[in-house]
Amino acid sequence: MLLRNQQHSKWKPLIKQFEAVLGKNGVVQRKEELITYECDGLTSYRQRPAVVVLPRTTEQVAEIVKICDRNSIPFIARGSGTGLSGGALPIEDCVLIVTAMMRQILKVDLENQQVIVQPGVINNWVTQTVSGAGFYYAPDPSSQIICSIGGNVAENSGGVHCLKYGVTTNHVLGLKLVLPDGTITEVGGQVPEMPGYDLTGVFVGSEGTLGIATEITLKILKTAESICVLLADFTSVEAAGAAVSDIISAGIIPAGMEMMDNLSINAVEDVVATGCYPRDAQAILLVEIDGLAVEVATNKQRIADICKQNGARNITTANDPETRLKLWKGRKAAFAAAGHLSPDYYVQDGVIPRTQLPFVLQEIENLSKQYGYRIANVFHAGDGNLHPLILYNNSIPGALEQVEELGGEILKLCVKVGGSISGEHGIGADKRCYMPDMFTQTDLETMQYIRQAFNPKGLANPGKIFPTPRTCGEAARAELANKFDSVERF
Amino acid sequence: MNAIAQKLETIVGSSGVVAWDDIEAKHRERIQQAIAIENYPCLTYPQTQAELADVVTCAYKNQWKILPCGSMTKLDWGGLAQGVQIVISTERIHQLIEHAVGDLTVTAEAGILFADLQTTLATAGQFLALDPTRPESATLGGIVATADTSSLRQRYGGVRDQLLGISFVRADGKIAKAGGRVVKNVAGYDLMKLFTGSYGTLGIITAVTFRVYPIPEASSTVVLTGNSDAIAQAVTSLRASALTPVASDLLSKQLVTNLDIGQGLGLVVRFQSLAASVQQQATSLLELGQQLNLQGLIYVDDETELWQALQQQMRSPTKPTEITCKIGVLPTNAVATLTQFNSHMGLIHTSSGLGLLRFDADVDKQSILQMRDFCHSQGGFLTVLSAPKAFKETTDVWGYQGNALSMMQRMKQQFDPNNLLSPFRFVG
Repeated sequence: MLLRNQQHSKWKPLIKQFEAVLGKNGVVQRKEELITYECDGLTSYRQRPAVVVLPRTTEQVAEIVKICDRNSIPFIARGSGTGLSGGALPIEDCVLIVTAMMRQILKVDLENQQVIVQPGVINNWVTQTVSGAGFYYAPDPSSQIICSIGGNVAENSGGVHCLKYGVTTNHVLGLKLVLPDGTITEVGGQVPEMPGYDLTGVFVGSEGTLGIATEITLKILKTAESICVLLADFTSVEAAGAAVSDIISAGIIPAGMEMMDNLSINAVEDVVATGCYPRDAQAILLVEIDGLAVEVATNKQRIADICKQNGARNITTANDPETRLKLWKGRKAAFAAAGHLSPDYYVQDGVIPRTQLPFVLQEIENLSKQYGYRIANVFHAGDGNLHPLILYNNSIPGALEQVEELGGEILKLCVKVGGSISGEHGIGADKRCYMPDMFTQTDLETMQYIRQAFNPKGLANPGKIFPTPRTCGEAARAELANKFDSVERF
Repeated sequence: MNAIAQKLETIVGSSGVVAWDDIEAKHRERIQQAIAIENYPCLTYPQTQAELADVVTCAYKNQWKILPCGSMTKLDWGGLAQGVQIVISTERIHQLIEHAVGDLTVTAEAGILFADLQTTLATAGQFLALDPTRPESATLGGIVATADTSSLRQRYGGVRDQLLGISFVRADGKIAKAGGRVVKNVAGYDLMKLFTGSYGTLGIITAVTFRVYPIPEASSTVVLTGNSDAIAQAVTSLRASALTPVASDLLSKQLVTNLDIGQGLGLVVRFQSLAASVQQQATSLLELGQQLNLQGLIYVDDETELWQALQQQMRSPTKPTEITCKIGVLPTNAVATLTQFNSHMGLIHTSSGLGLLRFDADVDKQSILQMRDFCHSQGGFLTVLSAPKAFKETTDVWGYQGNALSMMQRMKQQFDPNNLLSPFRFVG
């Protein structure tokens, strides 16, 4: 009880200071209201923050961060809370800075193809704002109707269309930042490659560990003249994988290329009932191509031929927006659909060289059998980004631990074949213990240079990305034995 | 031979170290263009990444200052390094590690020649989508360290956008890496971006992984020339159209004259795709130019020569007294910028607003600073790449005007606390 009172007396004056900056409405401290903020999209970890603040401006963020800095209080930024790696997971006794009130689109400059937004702006609002003029914002995570641009910047989010146009970092020109000591700094600008180190590039994907982006300058692209979605279904996953390789080998770079396996197909059909994905198919391939009409027409034919050569049974194509959307609908709803197959599911986010696809899928199948959990596979096949969904029941004691172990084995498999432990969801709290599987002690120490430069007191999002002996005892120890192994593992 | 060279010989052997007096004259000249005071560094060529690590470890122990380079093609860019005792070239660390054809990636050591790599990639119908300065002799590591690419930025972005993985020797001699060999990867901090354009101040790049692309089926280039209002109109219409050029450059009047491709301002646009698409796009742009009363021509068979001539004009100063600058302005201000600059050679990429300006030998410092102010007022910057040493000694070549300088300095301090790598060559 004494401890609790001490805690209370510690926070009372701080909350007063926050309220002085934001007003009473900008500070959330009631226990039941704080529950909303206990976790992000990775719901298996939960921790209630001490207090939540809702700033509206860069200056307010800076004031809040200064208070944290003066009092050595850790702070964590959160956008819409859709992250899948626990990047916005609070720690005990922290301030959660939520950008939900920072939702202004500050500037639209169509001629220079850029838009300046506050971090709480929702991803697809950007496209909605500029689509009338024939533009769009390319990165489109599946959660794009609710995820925030600030969160996308933190995680360097991808999406189904990043095969041709790149991920968030390729579309951010400049940032206004509140550094962990409360200083406001601008990096990048309205023009790329400004003089000096590319701190914009360093910040994007830094998962909230280097500060908070409060204004973001995004590049927008011109909508293609013609867009076509092609759906092909296969009787084996291997055949679909071979089709993917052949399309790339033919020199075609589709805007997006997605694959779903039989379990995912049925999950989606159960829930969304698109009626487009044959339930008996072992795999479907969704390919979107864009460009000039003549390019799309030619490539559509070439891709259809390649799919047929690889044994595709049916090929459906759609040029009009409505039908395209219908074909995509199932894929976009795949994660949600998994939730209907099983009480709980755990999403992984490994990347492999796409040529390793058949081997890796077989290994995942083996792991699924070995651990006794069903795994639905949906993935960005074009860039080798796998999203195995492990289905389990969290109410069974020990299940989560087993599933996490299984997920870890999948990640190790990805590293083994030359891939990565995260393609777009980030490391966060979820995968930090696997970092030593991919990076040596020296690599990780070098990354810490960046953290030291930006965040010397370690107050911004502590405990994320990097393994610590406390959280990852075994992994951190195992690493010591490997520390001289860097060259071969590049 | 001095003591440093003798010590280095024990690591890289006698064939791997050249004392100052024995350095080939052309190399000596290049090195002198990069260093401030009349130091007489020795030049060393480690043969492997491990050997390079040993050299740097030794330098670190002895606190020797290092100027890293590849094949020295861009040593005359950037600020003057001070107190350099060793020049380390990665030229002999040049293995192709893996061309993963089906994955559209390539991993190679830093010293590999860009031209050699392109030849290899071409056998599989692929290419690295960069068009750097002196492509025949530039190394991959040097291209990354200077963020050097050109017109292909229009479609493929900058070096930063294509670099997937990096390994490097740190200031203390340890080898570290970041990123990986796959096209999509968010594990750990993005050191690829940090090292791109860092001019050897944070570490010495030893190997890189790049994304590669299929070589397009067909290619052709449209050249439009004429008065600046009509050119500005053509750029606006092109931007609003459905056309998808891989390169689109505005050329100053003087550059158009030197290339002998017309009169007035120029717009040079390259299309690469399926043959039917290329033909359709080129024709459509040509028609647009004609409607605007611009002179126009489609280059098909001789377009490679045209682009080579353009690069040659912009990137190979004929006199050492000339000054070449990298600039950036908001894309909509590009025509106004080049109009300001009509008596010199200049080129701006229409989508990014990045470009190059080449000043005659007799330009005074004041004009450059005015031009810098102008670029700054247009939302951009002006950085001096190559210039006479006397000019660099008295001028801030970078022209950084933002408020993140102290953060950049902290970054340098973390990576190289004793300021041993390319000391004083970069911002801050």
